Amino acid sequence: MRIGVPHMGNLYIPLKALAQRLNMDFIVPPLTSQRTLSLGVRYSPEGMCIPFKLTLGNLIEAAELGADTMLMPAGSGICRLGYYAKTQEQVLHSLGYNAEIVSVGVSQRKLLGLLEAIKRLSNNAPWSKIISAFRFGLAKLNVLDDIERAVQKVRPVERVKGTANKLFAQAVRATEQADDYKALKRVKTDYLEQLSLVERDENAEPLVVGIIGEFYVLLEPFSNLDVEKELGKLGVEVRRSIFTSEWTKFSLFLNPLGVNEKDRLHKAAMPYLKRDIGGEGWETVGEKVLHAKDYDGLVHLAPFTCMPEIVAQNIMPSTKENIPVLTILCDEQLGKPGMLTRLEAFVDLLKHRRRAKVKV
Amino acid sequence: MVKVGIPRALLYYQYYPMWKTFFEELRAEVVVSPPTTQATLAVGSSRVVADTCLPVKVFCGHVLALVDKCDYMFIPALRSVKSKIYNCSKFLGLPDMTRAVIPECPPILDIDIDINKGKRKLYQYIYELGRHLSWNPLKIRRAALAAWQAHHEYKELMVNESLIPPQAIARIDGEETPSLNPDQPTIALVGHPYLLYDELINHRLTHHLEQAGYRVLAPEMLTTDQLETAITRLTGRPYWTYEEEVVGSGGHYLESGVEGVIGVVAFGCGPDSLMMDMVQRQAIRLKTTPFMNLTLEEHTAAAGMVTRLEAFLDMIQRRKRKEAELCV
Repeated sequence: MRIGVPHMGNLYIPLKALAQRLNMDFIVPPLTSQRTLSLGVRYSPEGMCIPFKLTLGNLIEAAELGADTMLMPAGSGICRLGYYAKTQEQVLHSLGYNAEIVSVGVSQRKLLGLLEAIKRLSNNAPWSKIISAFRFGLAKLNVLDDIERAVQKVRPVERVKGTANKLFAQAVRATEQADDYKALKRVKTDYLEQLSLVERDENAEPLVVGIIGEFYVLLEPFSNLDVEKELGKLGVEVRRSIFTSEWTKFSLFLNPLGVNEKDRLHKAAMPYLKRDIGGEGWETVGEKVLHAKDYDGLVHLAPFTCMPEIVAQNIMPSTKENIPVLTILCDEQLGKPGMLTRLEAFVDLLKHRRRAKVKV
Repeated sequence: MVKVGIPRALLYYQYYPMWKTFFEELRAEVVVSPPTTQATLAVGSSRVVADTCLPVKVFCGHVLALVDKCDYMFIPALRSVKSKIYNCSKFLGLPDMTRAVIPECPPILDIDIDINKGKRKLYQYIYELGRHLSWNPLKIRRAALAAWQAHHEYKELMVNESLIPPQAIARIDGEETPSLNPDQPTIALVGHPYLLYDELINHRLTHHLEQAGYRVLAPEMLTTDQLETAITRLTGRPYWTYEEEVVGSGGHYLESGVEGVIGVVAFGCGPDSLMMDMVQRQAIRLKTTPFMNLTLEEHTAAAGMVTRLEAFLDMIQRRKRKEAELCV
């Protein structure tokens, strides 16, 4: 049994660590590339969203390397995501790959469902081993996200543009190679220190822009054409509330105990959207309402034809809390120069707005 | 008398007789918006963002047509009517979205319909809905039961007499419907009722088929049993609320000996992008019944659709002729 997974940002690193500790035959498909996208687009139904197309591309590339068991999220009451596995399996079969897709429920019985799937895939490894491997995977995830948060702060103010990105790329590689807690801790302190030493423009007061929207396009830089890096180049500090580690922490451990980090967002969205509409629609509206005061602007990312985000996009202009929002729809047609022009115009608008505020 | 507005779009085709009975039992007057016109679509789409799907744009147009004609607007948030099977986000957020994009809309009667929260909760919501019109719980209960009865009669009427929803609604209102000729060749339409029976959205698809001498079969003419067996065969367990209309009826009709199956989807429809794909794959696997996938959007011109339809019907004719030759 060779196991393949789709990519989402750097999620493959903790998964790989987990698989290594459990001696699973685990294949990391090539990082999401133009080829992945082309494959995905060619074999997907016409009107599908970009997360489906890219993950399908990943699965095909994994199958090419011999993976025969794929791990995919699924569930009910979310959005099209719950139907992905069914269709992707049929596509793989029609291409002649005899692959089975193991779906992991993300809506109900999250932690238990995930652990049970791991148990099955690891040929019944003992629970103690699974849990220790799982913990190590989570530790890697946390380190990556901590470093990324620091990078987001440095990007807009660094003197030599691109330094933070270079350090982040190195940190990702170092985290991937770290094979025990001690090494991992060293990577974390090492890179956080290096980041704090990056030469900065002390007078800069960067604009603060929140990135909101759909989970996958937020976390997979390939799908949003590195929007965070581009904003950093324009001297904008990016804040994002969705991080893989946060999401795992809450949805796997705290939500079953009744703690929900999203309650705050839901409460804020209440006057405009009273109910969960699947995906991240409710949270998107909530974030706009909540951050209208403390951010300069919001960049709203959504896959083209994403149902929950379209509802959110329709509701957002009607809120009393006012803040500029730039919606960028991601699909295979999104081009870099077009996106950059829109970002530049948006940042100009935010600068004017801030200047006007200071004058008053 | 209190006037309750019901937009002639989206869920109207599935539930109109039920809603009408409920509100009329509570002594309210039901106002339905007139059939869709080009203007309905134009005003509707001027309110929402561009990527909203065609049926929702049409829906907004219908709400706008009713704005100053009623005291309440009835827009339910239909989440789930079967255990653990949910609806598209656009249906879930419909009342909130309408409130956001049409601020001048009269108070919206929104009711959460979610069977997963338990029957008790459902009854409570129905009661809350009725409270807008009557203080008397017994009367609300009676109205709800009558509505439920009306819904069953409506569905049975469509199955037993092979009627499409607009014909069944006309029959309930006491109008005559043309009788059927059982010997006519048949074409099955597969898709959501708000696409199949809105003559503006689909450019009078049923009319064109009838003109060409075909009898139109619709998802509503099948029994729940037939639909569920077909879904189990194709995808296992249904995932979307209206999966029967697409995967169920598609799966059934592809193996039922009709001359052809036409799948109708709206551009940008999330659930349909997957569900119609399932039907298409099945059609390719079976290779028995010709299948055409028709995507509708605002820019679809009637001429383009008619051309495709003619080509499809020609193909069916040729196929028949060839089969006849082989038999001889």
